Amino acid sequence: MLLEIENLVVRYGSIEALHGVSFTVDEGEVVTLIGANGAGKTTTLLSICRLPPPEAPRVAEGDIRFAGRSILAVEPHDVVRALKMALVPEGRRIFGNLTVEENLELATYARRGDPGVVKDLERVFQLFPRLRERRRQRSESLSGGEQQMLAVGRALMTGCRVLLLDEPSMGLAPVLKYEMFRALKRLNQEGVTILLVEQNAALALKFAHRGYVLDTGRIVAEGPTDHLLSNEEVKRAYLGG
Amino acid sequence: MLSTIVQNLLNALQWGSFYALIALGYSLVYGVLLLINFAHGDVFMVGAYIGFFVATFLLTQAAGLPGWVVLAVTIPATMALTAVVGVTLERVAYRPLRRKGANRLYVVITALMAGLILEHGNLALLGASRKKFPELINEVVYTVGGVSFTNLKIAVILAAFAVFVLLHFIVTRTKIGMAMRAISYDKFAVPLMGIPIDTVIVFTFILGSSMAGLAGVLFAMSYPVLEPYMGALIGWKAFIAAVVGGIGDIRGAFVGGFLLGAVEILVVAFFPSTFRDLIAFTVLLVILSFKPTGLFGVAKTTKI
Repeated sequence: MLLEIENLVVRYGSIEALHGVSFTVDEGEVVTLIGANGAGKTTTLLSICRLPPPEAPRVAEGDIRFAGRSILAVEPHDVVRALKMALVPEGRRIFGNLTVEENLELATYARRGDPGVVKDLERVFQLFPRLRERRRQRSESLSGGEQQMLAVGRALMTGCRVLLLDEPSMGLAPVLKYEMFRALKRLNQEGVTILLVEQNAALALKFAHRGYVLDTGRIVAEGPTDHLLSNEEVKRAYLGG
Repeated sequence: MLSTIVQNLLNALQWGSFYALIALGYSLVYGVLLLINFAHGDVFMVGAYIGFFVATFLLTQAAGLPGWVVLAVTIPATMALTAVVGVTLERVAYRPLRRKGANRLYVVITALMAGLILEHGNLALLGASRKKFPELINEVVYTVGGVSFTNLKIAVILAAFAVFVLLHFIVTRTKIGMAMRAISYDKFAVPLMGIPIDTVIVFTFILGSSMAGLAGVLFAMSYPVLEPYMGALIGWKAFIAAVVGGIGDIRGAFVGGFLLGAVEILVVAFFPSTFRDLIAFTVLLVILSFKPTGLFGVAKTTKI
């Protein structure tokens, strides 16, 4: 198993945000974590990225394992460098004071002398041709959809093999939403493992292979996505009937 | 008349150079950490003392070396050693607080205390007597059309401009400079790019402190009396210059530094010199009341 989350309990100060969450992601899979606002989806992703408090919560119990090894002691930049996992954070968090090109280049900070960089840049521009057109623009001048593309492109430029996505469809027009998911599908076909967090459960369950339903810090349902799509509980609570 | 203007301009540039070289240390650290490193003026003082010790050591241990060779070794050695002081300060005083997620107020107070410790550590170690910085190069006075200037004055001004060009290149063209700008925009996302934040912070302290060391040597050569409190007032002034220029932006540090130098010299040209600081800071106060973010500053907006 590539990524194993086992009985994860995390706290922000004294407030417990996850009460023992377990799930797995296998190599090459697309796994989605769905749930309402405040269910603990973002918290889960931030914990996996090992960001220090106050950005991310403190792990109180449980374990996060990558390829069988605990990564609780791994530094956040090494999650990217050594484990090749990259997060596309909620709200994009691109560097608005840098140009599109600089954002992409900065993500290759740890890849000095890696010949794969040129290929990755070409791949990003192929997936999102709009970024090529706007590469010299200050990135805060991009539209929301373009910023989301840049956030994904930036993650790819780190050379990641696992992509953690936090609400990539948020605030996007329907056309751009589908364009984004087409790009993600293509990345997965090229071998990138994807862990997707989404509020848009219908979209996420159609896209992923397996899913977990998170409710106030606990996993309440799990399984292949076609099972979840036909599960009455899930339908009623997350798919609007 | 013209010669008086040029003369004042040169003096303004020289003082502006000192302020600018120190101001950029405040500005760089603020840009990356949102920390006002109040110990920075004292790092400048430490730099002047390090320069004094390096130069004196060379003059006694390798007597007969020409002055310019001693200077050529003293400057980079002082910059490197002052950078070590700055990085040590970061490690010992600021990083532990950052690790614990301390509120910014406590970090600023720590900076103030660190500055006082440097001043009084110096006093305890070296005593209250002042030190005389050795003369390394012959100060030559040139007079062109009624304007007199020294080779040292010109060297100070050229050094400040060279530093500006170098830093501008680092910040705009190199990856670590890009990382510094990225941190100042959004610290959260920087480790997600595989960038160790601490490395960028240490690099920032190296830049700021080494430039303070350079300023220390140049200042000690121009005004060769060293005392433990020499960094306090000039540090405050450079900090204010950085804020007026727009803290967080190296162009702001330089513009603010030269502006303060110019205002001070201008005041002295027309008023008794006791009015200098009063009028200079009043002018800066007025500028800030019109543009509170400083000349190059941008009000930070959070984007959702």
